[in-house]
Amino acid sequence: MSAPVELWTRPALLDQVLRSRRDGRVEVVLRVAALAQPRRVLQLEQVLHALPGVASIALCIAARRVRVVFDAERLPLTQLLAACARAGCVAQPLQHDASGAAPGIALNASLKRLAVAGIFAMQAMMFALVLYLGAVNPLDPTTAHLFRWLGLVSAIPVVGYAAWPFYREALAGMRARRPGIDVPVALAIACIFAASVANALRGSGEIYFDSISMFVFVLLLGRHLELRAQARHRADGDAATDALPLLAQRRHADGTLETVAAVELVPGERVHVPEGDAAPCDGVLASERARVDASRWSGESRAVGHARGDRIAAGSVAVDGPLDLRVERTLATSSVAALERMTAAAQRARGLVGDDDAPAARRFVWRVLALAVATCAFWLWRDPARAFDATVAVLVVACPCAFGLAAPAVLTRSLALLSRRGVLVTRAAAVRALARVDRALFDKTGTLTEPALQPDRVETFRGVARETALRWAVALARESSHPVAQAIARVPADGVPLAHGVEIVAGGGVRGVVDGRPMRLGHAGFAGTDCDDAALWLADAQGPLARLPLAERVRADASACIKALQAVGVACALVSGDAPTRVRTVAAALGIAGWHARQAPADKLAHVRAGQAVGQVVLVVGDGGNDAAALAAADVSATPGGAVELARAHADLLLPAGLAGLPLARALAERAMQVLAQNRRWSLAWNLGAVPFAAAGLVPPWLAAIGMSASSLAVVLNSLRIRAARAPHAPPMALHERTT
Amino acid sequence: MNALLILVPITLVLAGIAVGLFFWAVNHAQFEDLDTPKILPLLDAAPPRHGNDDAPR
Repeated sequence: MSAPVELWTRPALLDQVLRSRRDGRVEVVLRVAALAQPRRVLQLEQVLHALPGVASIALCIAARRVRVVFDAERLPLTQLLAACARAGCVAQPLQHDASGAAPGIALNASLKRLAVAGIFAMQAMMFALVLYLGAVNPLDPTTAHLFRWLGLVSAIPVVGYAAWPFYREALAGMRARRPGIDVPVALAIACIFAASVANALRGSGEIYFDSISMFVFVLLLGRHLELRAQARHRADGDAATDALPLLAQRRHADGTLETVAAVELVPGERVHVPEGDAAPCDGVLASERARVDASRWSGESRAVGHARGDRIAAGSVAVDGPLDLRVERTLATSSVAALERMTAAAQRARGLVGDDDAPAARRFVWRVLALAVATCAFWLWRDPARAFDATVAVLVVACPCAFGLAAPAVLTRSLALLSRRGVLVTRAAAVRALARVDRALFDKTGTLTEPALQPDRVETFRGVARETALRWAVALARESSHPVAQAIARVPADGVPLAHGVEIVAGGGVRGVVDGRPMRLGHAGFAGTDCDDAALWLADAQGPLARLPLAERVRADASACIKALQAVGVACALVSGDAPTRVRTVAAALGIAGWHARQAPADKLAHVRAGQAVGQVVLVVGDGGNDAAALAAADVSATPGGAVELARAHADLLLPAGLAGLPLARALAERAMQVLAQNRRWSLAWNLGAVPFAAAGLVPPWLAAIGMSASSLAVVLNSLRIRAARAPHAPPMALHERTT
Repeated sequence: MNALLILVPITLVLAGIAVGLFFWAVNHAQFEDLDTPKILPLLDAAPPRHGNDDAPR
C-alpha cells in the first residue's frame, strides 16, 4: 500500500495504532512483510535499536510482526516508519485492538505462575522428604516441627499466587452456574491447605504441603502447554493480516487529492482508490467504469466490471486502473463491518456451548464431596479424634489431579501431531467437536478449487517461443505467493532465469527484470492490454509478449478429502456464492450430491443453523471471505490455502498443507477422544478406588503423593499413545513464503 | 541442627532469587521472541539493499 509516511502524524490515525503504556511510553505493532526473509530480520533489528527513544523490540517472524515500544516524545512514529523503509522493510502500522496483545500477556502470566509453582513445589518436596525419612529414622520433635513449618512457608507462594487462576475460574464458573473442573480443583487446594495449616499449627496430624504444591504445578504445566500451543498456532494464522485500509484519498471539488484517515470520511464525499488498493468504504462508483475484485466478500471467483452508479463494497480491490467512489456508508457502518459483527455474534453464541468437561466435572465434585462428608460423619460417630485427618486424606486421594490433566495432555499431544501434519489448530476445543462432526459444508472458490494455467493454450506474440515465454512467466510468478502466481509457478519449465528488482503490485501483478528486460506479469490492465478476465498477460516495455489462459481447477487433494470424509459418515455439501453452472460442475466432479449456488453470507449461516437445529455437528470449510459468519457459527471451521486466506478466516483449523489434512485431523480427533475417555476412566478409577483406604485411615501422606504422581504420569503416558494415521507423503509446511 | 538453621534459610533465599530473576526475564520480554535469536548469529550483516522488492501485497 502506498501510504505516505508523513500521514502518521494525524491524531485520528495515531489513536488507532498507538497504545499508551503505564510507563509513559507507547507501543505500536507493525506488519513487516519483509520479515519473511531472515536476512532482513537482522537489518531491521539493528536499524531499530540504533534509533533514539526505542525501548524494546519484539519480532514475531511467524506473524511478520514487530512490536516496538518507544518514547513518542523523542521519536515520532513517522521517523520510525521512515527508518524501517530505509532498511528495505516497508512497515505498516496495525490497529491496536486488532493486534492481539492478549495472548502474549496471558502466556507470560502463566509462565510466571508455573515457575513459582515449580520452584516452591521442589522446596516443599525437599522438606517433606526429611519428614518421610523421619518415619524410618526418627527425628527429634523440634526438627520435625521446624520442617513442618518450612513446608508451610514453601507452599504459601504456590497456594497463594500460582494457584490463583483456579480460584478465579472456579468463582467465575460458580457465578455462571456452570461449575467446571476448576471448582473441585480450587476446593481441594483450599481444603487440603487449610487442614495442613491447622495441623502444622497444632503440631500434630498429617500435612500435605508437598502433594498440594505438586498438584498445582502439574495442573499449571498442562494448562501452560495448551496455552502455548494455541498462541503459536494463532501467530502462524496472523501471518498476513491485511485489515481494511486505514487511509483514504479524498477528492476535493477542484479535483485535488488529500490523504485522510478512513474514519474521517463522511457520506457524500468523493474518494479516489488507486489501482491495487482496497476501497475504504461502501460507495457508489463515480468514475465511468471500473473493475473490482470482490472475491474476499462475495465469493465471485473473477474480477467484475462495474459501470457508473453501481455499488461497491468496502474491501473490494480496484484492478485494471484506479476508480472514484462517492461515499455512501462509512467504514463503521459498511457491509464489511456488518459482516464482522455477524461473525462476532456467531462466535459469542458458540462460546456458550461446547465445553464437555463441565457435566463430568460437576458429577465428580458431588461424588467427592459426598464421600468426604460420609467419611467425616462415619469417624465422628466412631472415633471423633480421627475424623479430621481421615476427611483430609479422602480429599487428597480424591484430588482430581490426573482428571484435570487428562484433557490438556490429550489436546497438547493432538495439537503437536496435527501441526506436524500441516494442520494448525487455533481453538483447542475444536478437536472435541471435530471427532463428532457429521455434516460438512464446503465453500467452492479458493477452497475446493484453485486457479490453474493451461500451458497448451498459451498464445505468444512478436515471435517469442512458447517455452521462452513460459520461462519468463515462471521467473516472475515464483516471486509472488498469490494463488494465481503460484498456479503459474507450478508449471514445469527448465532453465528458469532469476528475476531481479522484483516488485509486487497488489491487485495487479509482478514487475521485474528477467534476462535483462523489464517485464510485467499480471491482469490484462496491469500488463497494458485490453480487458480480459480469463487470462494473465506477460508484457515488456514494447507491449504484450504472451497470453496465459487460466481455468478454475479442482484442487488435487479435494476429491480424496471428500471421499475420506464421506467414508467416515460425514455428509458433505457445497455452498457457494458463485454461479450455478460452475458450482454444479465442481459438485459433479467431486461426487457431492447436495450443492447450493448464489448463496449470500446470511444464506450460508442459515445452512449451518439448519444443520445444528436438527442436532448435527457442522464443519464449515471456507476461506473466510463471504463465509466468515458461517465459519464462526460452525461447530468446527477449517480454512485451506495460503497465508492470506488463513489470516482472514480466523478458523479453528488452518490447513496450509492442503485439504488432505482434514480427514487426517478428523481421524486423529476421534482417536484423541477415545484416549481422553480412557484417561478419564483411569483417573476416576484411581481416585474412587483409593478413597475407601483413605477413609479407613490407611493412606499416609507419602503414599498419597506417590499415588498422585503415578496417576498423573499414567495419564500423560497414555496420551502419548495417540498417533497420527499413516502420513500421506508428509507435506512440507508451505506456510512461510519462499525466500529467494 | 545448627547447620540446618543456616542452610535452610539459604535454600529459601535462593528460591526467592531464582523466582525474582525469572520474573525479571519475563517482564523484560526475554520470552516474547524465541524464534529470532537462534537465527541471528547465522546471518552475516548485509548492507541494506535499495531495491523495493518486498512491498506488501
